[in-house]
Amino acid sequence: MEELAGRLTALDPDAGAAVRVIAYFDRLVEGRAGLEALVRGAAVLSGCPARLVDHGRGVRVRVEADGRRRDAAGPEDSEWPSAALTPGGVPALWLERTGPRSVVDAMVLERAASAARLVLDRTRGRARAHIAAEDPALLETLLDPTAPQAARLHAARGLGLDPSGRARALALPDGHPRVQPFPASDGPGRPLGGRSGGLSGDGRDEGTAGGQVLGPGVPPGSRVGVGPAVPVPDLHESWAAARTALRFTAYGTDPGPRTVHADELGTLALLAEAVGPGTRPPADVRALDSAGAATPWLLATLNAVVSAPSLRTAATELNLHHSTLQDRLSHAEALLGWSVRDPHGRLRLQLALIVRRLMTHQAAFPPAH
Amino acid sequence: MTTTPPTLTPPPFDPELAAALAVMGEMAPTTLTPEMLAFARAAEEAGMDGPFPLMTNEEMSRDGAFEVEERSVPGPEGAPEISLLIVRPTRVQGPRPVIYHTHGGGMVLGNNRLGMEGMIDWAEELGLVVVSVEYRRAPEHPHPAPVEDCYAGLLWTAENAKEIGADPDRIILAGGSAGGGLAAALALMARDRKGPSAIGQILLYPMLDDRNDTPSTHQMVGLGIWDRGANETGWTALLGEARGTADVSPYAAPARAEDLSGLPPAYIDAGSAETFRDEDVAYASRIWQAGGHAELHIWPGGFHAFDGLAPQAALSQDARAARLRWLHRLLGE
Repeated sequence: MEELAGRLTALDPDAGAAVRVIAYFDRLVEGRAGLEALVRGAAVLSGCPARLVDHGRGVRVRVEADGRRRDAAGPEDSEWPSAALTPGGVPALWLERTGPRSVVDAMVLERAASAARLVLDRTRGRARAHIAAEDPALLETLLDPTAPQAARLHAARGLGLDPSGRARALALPDGHPRVQPFPASDGPGRPLGGRSGGLSGDGRDEGTAGGQVLGPGVPPGSRVGVGPAVPVPDLHESWAAARTALRFTAYGTDPGPRTVHADELGTLALLAEAVGPGTRPPADVRALDSAGAATPWLLATLNAVVSAPSLRTAATELNLHHSTLQDRLSHAEALLGWSVRDPHGRLRLQLALIVRRLMTHQAAFPPAH
Repeated sequence: MTTTPPTLTPPPFDPELAAALAVMGEMAPTTLTPEMLAFARAAEEAGMDGPFPLMTNEEMSRDGAFEVEERSVPGPEGAPEISLLIVRPTRVQGPRPVIYHTHGGGMVLGNNRLGMEGMIDWAEELGLVVVSVEYRRAPEHPHPAPVEDCYAGLLWTAENAKEIGADPDRIILAGGSAGGGLAAALALMARDRKGPSAIGQILLYPMLDDRNDTPSTHQMVGLGIWDRGANETGWTALLGEARGTADVSPYAAPARAEDLSGLPPAYIDAGSAETFRDEDVAYASRIWQAGGHAELHIWPGGFHAFDGLAPQAALSQDARAARLRWLHRLLGE
């Protein structure tokens, strides 16, 4: 069908061609042309297939050099010249061509990507960094382990997720799942957030850091359980893990982390299974509750002690003189009935604090069924 | 007078077509003047590419799917022979329906390869024979030379159909722009002279009305391709002083025909943003009013011959697809 390509095809790489490329895309923008027209322009002017892929916004447009739309094609080739929609972003527009890159190709990519960004912002809103509960039925299907895989993949596409990509689920106290595409530039092994002290860090710092990491859709300071990044078809597993992680977050004014990453829980996740609606609080938890009720500083002090690498650091974080902290700990040990300064006692304290959190959570949010 | 004068605001071009026009516009001047005609002819003779590609024999053969031949056949009585470009499918057996093609070019430009791409696309899809006639052009050869040449070629095609693998009972008249006008005129002539009866006429944005005075001719002045000024150049070349007077034959300007009954089914298309829009719509309406069969497509934002200048545009693809669907229905195959 070469003759179909007519006279627009594969402009000569001279200055006149560059001017024509600019004029061509300027007119498309002026006429409020759609994405397909922009991708077709890229294909026709460069004389090879062009494609635009924006997983976040569920956009996939591929047009061949004869102007025909043919979306079905293999994956993108890293050898192809490409352009991002935003400076420093991931590639979104490709010319399906290998070999030497021409000046015209670069100009076509730049003008087409810039025009596509305008159209996307106008017609689909700014890029979504997460998928909120605005598509509840699709989200429910996507996260339902009993739904057939085909239905989950269909839901993923409907939500603008790349079915072959990775994503993670977030659990918030409102019960509505959030799903975030996992940035393509990040490898699967990348630790999320990169914090240490996952379960015991200071609540406020943790919340702030989490807010930045977790992006829009998560109210600042909200408790969040973060599921691991998984292949999109396995998102129900991330969702289950996120809900478990949420139970490890600190509720209300309790000291402790507001954001918990499921993949940092390790063996502690088993504790969540051990604590259910009918579980009687263990003696150590009852001791913490009564000591905490009698002594306002107690829980925050003990949480700082188990979170910090040393007592000196804990004292600094609490704005206490080192000897004052020692005095407080002696008082706490008397109330609790065990030492919190030897390794075994620290572990016992840490477990009691965590189980207490799981039980508070249980009391505050009894299971619906 | 209480009638409102037609607005001079032109319909907007389709965005893709506007972009193509911005880039290609210089190759296809909006207003062809008599002075520019000499340059355009010289460029043609020098083999320079115009905005609409002319196919070579090799291109027309589509990798051996077609056999291409040029033949001289008798012209009108007392006139020189005419040349027919005959393209026959090699992989289809038996007499095939034949497209009899009259090329465009405002009656003053072009040759029988102009517009052949679209014809061969149809022929490839449906296994058709295509015959494209090289007629004498105005102003050197005013009316009736062009249309009589076309008619002579049609007669030869009908009488010698078997020799070129064509079925004389399945002739389809086809042409774009001035060629669309000529195809429409052939349908009228064949009806009136009891000549070869075609089974269909495909009139692509046809040039039908020498009066050059519809609202669309006024709306599109200076815009797109082939505006009112260019149209005046073409019609004046064909008709001279007679243009726009009562003394114009319907075989020159089919819009002048009083009677549009008894014609083969017509397919008519045009862009909403072109000079010929209103005369083409009127022609289809008058065929219906005369009890005839017509299919009309007005492509929104299309300029004249948009599918030739910007074949990749979505609107061009749709226009081509619609023609092909009509042909499928017409031929029932």
